[in-house]
Amino acid sequence: MEKTVDPITLQVIGGALHSIAEQMGNVLYRMSYSSIIRESQDLGAGLFDRDYNTLCESDSTPMHIGSLPGYLRGIEKTVPLDAWKPGDCVVHNHPYYGASHSPDIGIVMPVFFEGDLVGFSANTAHHVDIGAATPGLVIDIPDVFAEGMLLNGLLLYKEGVRNESLWKFISDNTRVPSLVMGDLEAQIASAELGVQRFQQLMATYGKETVLQASRQLMDYTENMLRREIENIPDGDYVAEGFLDDDGRNRGVTLPLKVTVRVRGDGVEVDTTGSSDQVPTAFNVPFDGSTKVACYFAFRALLLDTYTHEEYIPQNEGSFRPVKVTSPLGSIFNPISPVAAEARFSQIQRLCDLIIKALAPVLPDKCTAGNAAVLSFAAYSGVRPSGDYWVFLEVNEAAMGGRPLSDGPDTVEELMRNTRNNPLEDLGMHLPLVCDRYEVRDDAPPGAGKFRGGAGVVKSQRYLTPGFMTHESDRNEDAPWGIFGGKPGHCSKVELKNTQTGKHSYQPAKFSGLRTEIGDVVTYYSPTGGGYGDPMEREPAKVLDDVLDGFITVDHARDDYGVVLSEVDDGYGWALDEGATKARRAERMRG
Amino acid sequence: MIRVGVDVGGTFTDIVLERSEPGADAQVVVTKVSSTPNDQSEGVVQGILKVCGLAGVKPGEIDAVFHGTTVATNMVIERQGAKVGMITTRGFRDIMHMARHKRPHNFSLQFDLPWQSKPLVRRRDRLVVSERIMPPTGDIEVPLAEDEVKHAAELFAKRGMDAVIVAFLFSFLNNEHEQRAKEIVKSILPDAFVSASSDVVNTIREYERFSSAAMNAYIGPRTSAYLRNLEGRLRANGIDAMVRIMQSNGGISTIENSSELPIGLLLSGPAGGVIGGRWTGEHSDKNNIITIDIGGTSADISVIENGELRIKNPRDTEVAGLPVLVPMIDIDAIGAGGGSIAYIDSGGAFRVGPRSAGAVPGPACYAKGGDEPTVTDAQVVLGRMDPEHFLGGDLTIDASLSEKAIRKHIAEPLKLSLEDAALGILKIINNNMALAINANSVAKGVDPRNFSLMGFGGAGPLHSVSLAEAIHAKDVISPVHPGITAATGLLVTDLQYEYTQSTLMVLDNASDAEFGRVNAVLDDLVARANRQLDADGIPAGQRQFRQVAECRYVGQGFELRADVPDGALGKQTAGVIIDNFYNAHKQVYGHAFRDQQTEMVTLRVIATVKVETLRLPRLGKGGRTNPPEAEIYRRRTVFDNGEAADTPRYQRGKLLAGDRIDGPALVIQHNSTTIVPPGYLATVLDFGDMRIERDKG
Repeated sequence: MEKTVDPITLQVIGGALHSIAEQMGNVLYRMSYSSIIRESQDLGAGLFDRDYNTLCESDSTPMHIGSLPGYLRGIEKTVPLDAWKPGDCVVHNHPYYGASHSPDIGIVMPVFFEGDLVGFSANTAHHVDIGAATPGLVIDIPDVFAEGMLLNGLLLYKEGVRNESLWKFISDNTRVPSLVMGDLEAQIASAELGVQRFQQLMATYGKETVLQASRQLMDYTENMLRREIENIPDGDYVAEGFLDDDGRNRGVTLPLKVTVRVRGDGVEVDTTGSSDQVPTAFNVPFDGSTKVACYFAFRALLLDTYTHEEYIPQNEGSFRPVKVTSPLGSIFNPISPVAAEARFSQIQRLCDLIIKALAPVLPDKCTAGNAAVLSFAAYSGVRPSGDYWVFLEVNEAAMGGRPLSDGPDTVEELMRNTRNNPLEDLGMHLPLVCDRYEVRDDAPPGAGKFRGGAGVVKSQRYLTPGFMTHESDRNEDAPWGIFGGKPGHCSKVELKNTQTGKHSYQPAKFSGLRTEIGDVVTYYSPTGGGYGDPMEREPAKVLDDVLDGFITVDHARDDYGVVLSEVDDGYGWALDEGATKARRAERMRG
Repeated sequence: MIRVGVDVGGTFTDIVLERSEPGADAQVVVTKVSSTPNDQSEGVVQGILKVCGLAGVKPGEIDAVFHGTTVATNMVIERQGAKVGMITTRGFRDIMHMARHKRPHNFSLQFDLPWQSKPLVRRRDRLVVSERIMPPTGDIEVPLAEDEVKHAAELFAKRGMDAVIVAFLFSFLNNEHEQRAKEIVKSILPDAFVSASSDVVNTIREYERFSSAAMNAYIGPRTSAYLRNLEGRLRANGIDAMVRIMQSNGGISTIENSSELPIGLLLSGPAGGVIGGRWTGEHSDKNNIITIDIGGTSADISVIENGELRIKNPRDTEVAGLPVLVPMIDIDAIGAGGGSIAYIDSGGAFRVGPRSAGAVPGPACYAKGGDEPTVTDAQVVLGRMDPEHFLGGDLTIDASLSEKAIRKHIAEPLKLSLEDAALGILKIINNNMALAINANSVAKGVDPRNFSLMGFGGAGPLHSVSLAEAIHAKDVISPVHPGITAATGLLVTDLQYEYTQSTLMVLDNASDAEFGRVNAVLDDLVARANRQLDADGIPAGQRQFRQVAECRYVGQGFELRADVPDGALGKQTAGVIIDNFYNAHKQVYGHAFRDQQTEMVTLRVIATVKVETLRLPRLGKGGRTNPPEAEIYRRRTVFDNGEAADTPRYQRGKLLAGDRIDGPALVIQHNSTTIVPPGYLATVLDFGDMRIERDKG
C-alpha cells in the first residue's frame, strides 16, 4: 500500500492532469487540417498509466472519451509492455483490436521517467478518408477489409526515427493525403506534448506521488458515481426501440433492447435482445464504442456537469461502476470479419434507451426521447486536377424535453459534440454550396409541459458531379414523449435537382450515391419528444413558440389547448386567456 | 496639461489625475468613490470633482478625461439591451439559433444554450429576404428583392424596434446587397440604430459575423445614450475636456466611434489593467511580463511580450458565451480571488473557488454573516494581512472569525492544524491561478522563465512571489500603486482604430492580378482609417499604420497574425509574410511547415496615434538596506514553507529608490500588502515599483 497523498497535493496534481489533457486536445484541433478535426473537434487525447487506466482526458467529443484504453489493450497484442522504447510512436485503428472504429486513428507514445515506462500519452482523431470502398464513409460493404487501411499496432516512429515506408504507405492509401498526413502530424505533436508534460509533472512532485495521486483521483471519481447509483432503487429496467435497416436489406427493421440492472452501487447494461450482427458496416465495435456509450450515459445522467458545482475529474473511475454485456455476434459485439464502421446511430440509441429505461426512477435527471441519431454525410468528388475532395459533415438534431426546461433545438446531443463548419469557409474551398440551414418548420417538436427540441434542416447543392454517402437512421422510429408528453418526429432525406426538377426521398443511410450538377441533398433531422402533459405548459410559452414559428396556431390549440386571437401589433397573435382556460378545462373533462 | 483617468469597477470607481508642466515633475493625485451601478456616469463625475478638490484644480482646467467602462459588458451579461430586428438571406434565418451547434457541456443532459434561451434577436424578429451572393467570387446569383426589404423594414417600424441589422451570407465578398438593404431600412426607420454585418466586422464566418453585428446593435442604443449622457453630465459640471474611451484592444477611441461600434468596448474594463502593467514594466526596464489582476471574485491574466500586448485569437473572443469578432487583449479570467470560498465537497475533496463570498457577505472576518472561510481569511490567519491595515484601515475585521471558519470547515474535517489548513487554501488557489497562467503562456509558446510576474489589484502582491515560484518566472514586480494600476492604464495608451476585410489568397504563388486586388483592399482600409483620423483632427505626421495578415496553412481552420511589411504587397513582401506566419505558428504550436502553402484570410490595418503618457515623479535616492525609519512593527507571519517568523512591516511610502528589503518582510501601503518571503530580496526602483527576486546572497 502506497502512502496516501494529502488532500492539498491531490487537488494540485488533479488540476495539473486536467490542464495537460486540455492542452493536448487544443494542439491537436488547432493544428489539424481536415474540417472534421479542426472545426468538428472529432478527437480525444489523454494520459494513461501502465495498466491502461485513463488518468485524464481532453474535454472534446464524448465518443472519444473512454475509448483509448481499448486501443492500448489492442496494441499490446502487437507491442507488449516490455517492448516499448523511448521515442516510439504507434499508429493503430483496428476495430477488432480495441479501436473505436477504423477512421479513428490512434497515436500512442510511451512515457518514460528515470528509465522506466510509467504510462502513455495518446490521442485519437477521426480521419477524413482511409481508402475505404467509398470516399469518406461506408455503409453497404462486404467486410472489415473494405473499410480501408487497417493499421494494427504499427511503429510509426522507432526510438525517434520515422518509418518512412509506413508514412508513404498511409499517404498512398488515402484519397486526400494532404489532409490526412497533416492531421497525423498534429496528432504526433499533441502526443509529444503529453509526454513532456507528464514527465515534468513527475519531475516536480515525484513519480510515486503522481501515480498515487492519480489512483486516488480515480477512486474519488468512482465513489462520486457509485454514490449516485446507490440512490437508484435496485431493479431491472428495460427499454426497447428499433433501427430502420442495415443499409442493404430495406424494409427489415432491427430490434433494440436494453436492460439496465441496478444492484447497490453498481450497474450492468445488457443489450441482449437487440439485433444480431448485420452483413453491412452497420455494426458497433464492442470495446471502443459499445462500452463507451454506456459509460457516457451514466456520467451524463448522474454527474451532470451543468447541475453539479464541482468539476469531477475525467478518468477511469467513471468507467468502473458500469458493466457492459453484449452477446458475441450481436450488433453491439460483432465477430470479425463483418464491417463495423458505421456505428454512431446505434450507440446514440443505446444511450437514449438507457435514459428511457431509467426515466421512471430518475424523473428529475432524465430527458424525453432525444433524436439520438447521427447524420453523417460524406460529400466528395474529383477536381479537374484529378485530386479528390472529400468533406465530412455532421448534422445536428434535437433533444427531448427535460424536467425543468425545453429540449434544446438544433444541437449536438448525447455522444457527439462537434462544431459545425462555417458555410462561408466551405463555400470558398469546395464545389458545394449550402442552400438552406434553418430550424425545421415542417414538423413540430414533440408537445409537452416542456417541449422537445426543434430539428434542423440543411441543404447542400453540388456544383460539380460527385459522390455521397449518408450514415444515419431514424426515418422510422420517432423519439418518444414521456410523462404525458407527445412524441417528436422522424427524420427524412430529400434529393432534388435544381435543373431537371427530379425529386425523391432517400433512406436514412445510403452509400456511394453518384450525384449530378444541381443535385440538392436535404436532411431533416428528427425533433425531440415532449416531457410532461402539454396542457400544463405555460400559455405564454406556447404563444412565444407560435410567434417564433416553432409551432403553428392550430398545433397550439389542438395539442396545448392554447387559443390565440389575431391582433394588429406587427406580430399577429395574442393569447386569448378566457378561451384557453375553457378549452383546457374541456380537455380535462373529455 | 491636466489629464484624468476614471476606471469603473463593480464596487469602486478609481480616479487618477495627472498635472504636468514643462520642466517640472508631474503631480499625480489618486482617489476613489463608490460606483453607481444604475448610472455609472454619476460616480464618474463625482470622482472627477473629488479628485479636482484634492489636487486643487478647477474642473474647467482638465484637458482630457479617459474612461474605462463596464456599461456595455453588463448590458450583455444582464441581457438589458435593445430590441433588435434582423434581415437576413432567405434560407438562413437561424444561423444565430444553431450557433456552432456544439453544446457547452459534454457530460450534461440539463445544460443551457444561451444563444437559444436568451437570444440577442428573437426568431420572430429575424426576417428573410431573397438575395444570394456566390462564393468564391462574390457574384450575384439572386438579386436583392428590394420590395421584401421594404416590407420587413415596415414591419419592424410597426414593431417598434430600437435597432436593425442587415446580415447576408458571403457579404465579406460583396457587400452591395447589405449596403442597399441598409439604405432602405434607414429610410423607413430613420431613428433606429441600423447597421450591416460588413460594417461591424467584414470577415469570413457567418455565425460569428452575424452574432457580432447583433451584439453591436443590442448594446448600441444604450451605450451611445450612456456616452452622450456622460458627456452632458461632464459639461453640466463645468468639465469641457476631451473625452476618450478605453477599448478591448487596449487603444482608446472617441465617443462618436465608440457609439457606433460599442462592441469594441466589451473588454474596456480589464484592458486598463494590462496597459497599466505594460507601462509599469516600461519604467521598471521590463518588457516581458505576465500580469495578474486579482480582485475579490476573479483574477485576470495576460501576457506582454517584448513590450507588446497579446491579442486574442479571433476564434476565442467571446463575451457571455457569444462570439465577438473584434480584437481584444488576450486576457483570461478565472474564478479565483480574495473572496473565493474554501470547502470540502461531498466526496471529500478539498476545493477553493470558483464560488465566492463576494463583497456581501464577504470573507468570514468581515463579520457580515459569512461563515465559510475564504482566501482572505487564510491570509489573515497566517498573519499576512494585518487587521489595522485592512483596506488602509477603512474596514474593521475580526481575525478570530477567520480562524473559527477555517477550523470548522477545513482543519477539523481534514485533521489538519489551523495553519496547515490555511496554507492549504493558499496552495490550492495559487495552483489554480498558476495553471491558468500556464494555459495563457506555456500553452501558447511563452516561456515564463524569461518573464517577470506582476501581480496587482489590491490582493495581487500577496500572491505574486508564490505564483512566480510555481510558474518559474524570472522575478516579480510589485507596481507602485497596485490597487489603481487599471486606472493608470487609461492615461498611458494610444488612440487606436482597426479596420478589417477578409481577402482570401494563397500567398505562395499569387499572381500580379491577385496582388493588385489585395493592394486595393489595403488602400481602402488605410483610406478608411485616414477618414476617421481626419474627423478627429489628427495631423498626418502623427499617424502610424500597422498592417497585419491573418494567415493559415491551406486547409487549416485557425488563423494566426503575421505582420505585413509597409507599402504595397508583391512577391517579395509575400515571402516576408510567409516567414512571419511560419514563426508565429512555430511559437504557438511548437511546429511549423515549410512544405505547406500559406493562405491569407483577413487583412487588418491598425492606425495608432501616440498620446502623451503619464509621467510619475522619480523617488529620492535611498540605497539603504532594511531602513529602520520605514519599519512600522514586527509580528508573527507564516510563509509558504510552513515556517513562522517574527516579520517586520515596512511602510511603502517611506521607501526610497535603491532601498533593499530582505525577506522575510511585509511592505504595507494603503489597500495593498506586498509579501517578501524568506530568501527573497526586494529592491525599490526609480519610480517606486519594487522588484523581488531570490536573494543570491
